[in-house]
Amino acid sequence: MLNRKSAFAAFWIFTLALFTVATARVIYYTPDEATMGPIQKVFYLHLPVAINTFLACLVTFVASIGYLSSRTSWWDDLASAAARVSVQLCTIVLLTGMIWGKCAWGQWWTWSPRLTFSLVLWLLYTVYLIIRSSIESAERRALISAVYAIIAFLDVPLVYLSVRLMPDIHPASIELAPEMKLTLATWFAAVTVFTAGLIAAKYGLNRMERGLLSRSEQNAQVAAVGGFAC
Amino acid sequence: MTAVSQILLLISKDVRIEARSRQTLGLVTVLAVLIIVVLGLGLGGRPAAFDATAVLWVAYLFSGVLCFEKTMSVERHDGALAALMIAPMDRGVIYAAKLISNLLLMFAIAAIVTPAGVLFFQFDLSAAPLQFAAVMAAAMIGFAAVGTLFSAVASSTRLQGGLLAMMIFPITLPLVITSTQMLIHLFRDHEPIGGLGLGILLAFDAIFLTVSWLVFEWVLEP
Repeated sequence: MLNRKSAFAAFWIFTLALFTVATARVIYYTPDEATMGPIQKVFYLHLPVAINTFLACLVTFVASIGYLSSRTSWWDDLASAAARVSVQLCTIVLLTGMIWGKCAWGQWWTWSPRLTFSLVLWLLYTVYLIIRSSIESAERRALISAVYAIIAFLDVPLVYLSVRLMPDIHPASIELAPEMKLTLATWFAAVTVFTAGLIAAKYGLNRMERGLLSRSEQNAQVAAVGGFAC
Repeated sequence: MTAVSQILLLISKDVRIEARSRQTLGLVTVLAVLIIVVLGLGLGGRPAAFDATAVLWVAYLFSGVLCFEKTMSVERHDGALAALMIAPMDRGVIYAAKLISNLLLMFAIAAIVTPAGVLFFQFDLSAAPLQFAAVMAAAMIGFAAVGTLFSAVASSTRLQGGLLAMMIFPITLPLVITSTQMLIHLFRDHEPIGGLGLGILLAFDAIFLTVSWLVFEWVLEP
């Protein structure tokens, strides 16, 4: 039977293999898009990462509701892990979007609805992380961040609808050949597995950190009681 | 004592404090006018009339944050909030009262600041003054709903002032985007107010009034 360390190693080897297959598909088995040329291939990373950003935000939302209803610390650790991953993924979405924008429209940034939406999403969850690092009390931190995370997630559809009022230069839809669809599916699988692994790894770190902190607090209390007794 | 009379009592207390000290209204109005002047000069002294909606929003946002901070910090003096929390009333009543106090302050500030913006930016409001007021009022209700909640969070966790703005601004961006786009369509393109824009503003108000009222109890701490 696999122990925890071997399972962890096997998971990341599997993820690496998926990324290798996905990269090989993009380079060797996927034709260039007619109008955009090779730069369109950034799309195979951009779209799966964007979808996984939403999934990570959804995990933060669910975990925050879980924390408010049960007040157990592991929900808070899960919410924090997922929020951290969502910010990292959203950064990739913004960067790949900007690369696309530079090649397609000749400028790194345009106030197009989708880029604006990604930026607002990034801001919402970056602030979540800043709030977490600004509150000392662990209980207050968990409570306030859970409230903020729920409000931030409820804000996402409103942001999406509001940016649709802005003028758009994005393509409404992209026609994909069957090879392109298969490549996109491969990238989606790789990025999703990677996201799940990242959230799990950060969650594990959060649990470990919480365990160490509570142990050091217990030791400090024991030392204080010992000092008082002497 | 009914919830409505409790709310009215708390609002009248806030209004009386403000009428006697005149601290918040004076300070915030001057700040808002300063923002308009600085942005007007920063835009080259000859800003376009349609910049006015965005500039007014910047003034409303910053003055609003200051209002939220002030109205909640009043309760910090002499343990007033702790006394309020042990009073036999629902915490939702405290939220509703603070929300309405904040809205009254923001409407008062807007009544002074908007004419200043119109004057400095040669923004012709006469084409649709009622629609302008309706859009801004709907947006301000949502802004105050979120701001009142997070001002309680910031005051109870001793977070620094800048963090309150940081918490409120990204959440309220749909209001800013929607209302500015609606006003641009209204005044520049002479199009009527769209159903989607109005729907977004009202949905924002409904969602965040409900959620903030529900969670206010948890975040409030003396």
